[in-house]
Amino acid sequence: MELSRRDALAALSAAGIAATAGCSSLLGDEGTETAAEETDEATATATDAPTDAPTETPADEASSMDTMVALAEVLYPSEVEPTESFVQTYLYGRIYAEEAYAGEVDSGIETLNGLANDEAGDDFHALSADERVSVIENTDLRTGDSVHDGSDVERVNYHLVDELLFAFYSSPVGGEMVGTQNPRGFPGGYGYSPPLDQ
Amino acid sequence: MSATDKTPAEDPDVCVVGAGPASALLSHCLAKRGHDVVILEAGPRFDLDERIERMKRQIHPDRADNEIWDMGGERDAYTTSGDHSWLINQRRVKGVGGTSLHWGSVVPRLYEKDFEMESRHGIARDWPISYEDLQPYYAEAEQEIGVAGPDDAPFFPPREEEYPMDPLAPSYSDKLFARAGEALDIEVHSMPMAINTGEYDRNECQGYGTCQFVCPSGGKYTADIHVRKAEREGATLITEAVVQRLNHGPAGEEITEAVYETPDGETHRQKADVFVAAAGAYETPRLLFLSESGEYPNGLANSSGTLGKYFMGHPPAGVVGVLPNEETHVDSYGPVVSSGIHQFYEYDDPDDPKRGSVNIFLTNVSGPSPATLAMAEESVGDELLESVDLQFGSTLQANMSVEMLPREDNQITVDDSQTDSYGNPVPDVDISPSEFARRGQVRGTEAVSEIIEEMGGTVVYADGTLTVEHDEMPPIAKGGYHPLGGSRMGEDPAESVVDPNLQTHDLENLYVSGGGVFVTSGASNPTLTIMALSLKAADHIDEQL
Repeated sequence: MELSRRDALAALSAAGIAATAGCSSLLGDEGTETAAEETDEATATATDAPTDAPTETPADEASSMDTMVALAEVLYPSEVEPTESFVQTYLYGRIYAEEAYAGEVDSGIETLNGLANDEAGDDFHALSADERVSVIENTDLRTGDSVHDGSDVERVNYHLVDELLFAFYSSPVGGEMVGTQNPRGFPGGYGYSPPLDQ
Repeated sequence: MSATDKTPAEDPDVCVVGAGPASALLSHCLAKRGHDVVILEAGPRFDLDERIERMKRQIHPDRADNEIWDMGGERDAYTTSGDHSWLINQRRVKGVGGTSLHWGSVVPRLYEKDFEMESRHGIARDWPISYEDLQPYYAEAEQEIGVAGPDDAPFFPPREEEYPMDPLAPSYSDKLFARAGEALDIEVHSMPMAINTGEYDRNECQGYGTCQFVCPSGGKYTADIHVRKAEREGATLITEAVVQRLNHGPAGEEITEAVYETPDGETHRQKADVFVAAAGAYETPRLLFLSESGEYPNGLANSSGTLGKYFMGHPPAGVVGVLPNEETHVDSYGPVVSSGIHQFYEYDDPDDPKRGSVNIFLTNVSGPSPATLAMAEESVGDELLESVDLQFGSTLQANMSVEMLPREDNQITVDDSQTDSYGNPVPDVDISPSEFARRGQVRGTEAVSEIIEEMGGTVVYADGTLTVEHDEMPPIAKGGYHPLGGSRMGEDPAESVVDPNLQTHDLENLYVSGGGVFVTSGASNPTLTIMALSLKAADHIDEQL
């Protein structure tokens, strides 16, 4: 099952979130601008999906995306295939301070590559899936603390690993795999519940 | 006023300290009637766009609840000295909108009996007002904030008109509870919720399922909405203005100024004709204590000696059950609460209450979310999915708030041994809930346990804050919800802080708005009553100006 950009956009448009963050630094100069005006009050309205969002990743960001997708591939169930467009659109579309987050991604990937080189002699995205799992299992990734302003590895756990896990397990695809169409954290609308005999 | 201009407003009629639910409707009401209002708020105005990020903090297993809205640190320091630790900063927010940014938006009214505990039962004390006195203000508050509620729910006190919006439809787990409850003659009914289902002038609920503690869509009512409306009517808002003390004139009859500090270290003095202390049940009495003077050596508005005393909360309890092999969250629901049980709000023996009233709300989310479970695990890939799947989806949960009787020795004072970031003594909470509340918790947890067992489920947790080693409980289960009392209302200046209009007995131009004025706690979530009382006070202030 391929996790597509469409999956990501569906989620983002439901939330009106794509309008809130420029995302331009991660999505290219055209960004995900919409016609919606930003307002600073609670009466702000939901917006249209950014259907004209770019699909190409700038060259200088390609290796970052390769690493994030490579990480998502081993974090997510084997049944799903996290595409670059899913990671790029859904994940970064939900980031508020995208420039600060891009900084965390850059430094996190550097840390991740350091661990990968120590463990298997190459950058993380260049390793096989088994080797990537080994890097995770043989370091403090996953087993160590996850702290937004902690040590290098703790920050990887918080800003890369947990962010990718949030993106998947609070999406309809991830939710349905554990029995809910609308997992907490996903704006799947309200008020629908099937009758008891279903 | 721009966000950076922190200078005092010129010659306002009313100065309101705090920008939460006890302030917002009152400020809007007065501004709408042509009065010049200035609001001094200790915290910032939060950006709506940041709410997604705050919601992620809520879902992340390693972030504490107080981090969601940036609470904690020296500014918010406090101590506890009672039998129980008492969480404060995980239960409140400083900022425009106050604790309503974080609330669950469940808005039942108090019951008629809650105002008449002494005359009906010979315990606690009557309020100086009745349910009927507050009834029109309840209706006004419900209209202002937009409540989706049941017009025909059993047990609730009488209504004069329909709720502004139809009730939320029952969730799948509500239906499970209702079917099993019916077999036990326990009625499950809709709860009134301040959530927009599409008819109000704010975003519609989008179903994030994280109302408590963050609503990213803005569908949940938060008091920043009425602060904004007040500003549109001409009110001035000054954020990050931390009020240090209130000063009175030479005769000690009136407050003349609120002294506040701003982040640049400057001290400002806001003058006004009328002052309203609406800074929450902890900060309001602390502010009055810190404003002691030669005329008022025990603190402002404290000639009765009751300031800080008769403090209460709603000691929480909860029940969690598991329905083996059954998915309990197959719906696409959203709001965290939609139904509840008020059958045990009234006492088993109406003439002889031996336990606290019980306000049960059934939760549409039980246990950690899939994302929280996934982040907390150490595995990856298929093994991780299997682990999350195993833990998620077959649980049911009900939470409840329980009535607690007012006691003189449960109190808020100031602790001179510790100071906040401004050098002021911090608030101290000394609270020891009694058997009355404990027995209410037992009644509620027994009832919900019976329902879950009727479904064929297994109860895995059924407890309240008064039974187990309190400090061993997870933070979410601990007390600290719904702080009430400490500046109670009464007719007698010798035994109360404010009168029925929330005007202090001692100083004619000083009012207190908030849960602090409650005489008894009832069991209903208190914010709607706080807002109704504030509208009543606004009427009185309007007449006085």
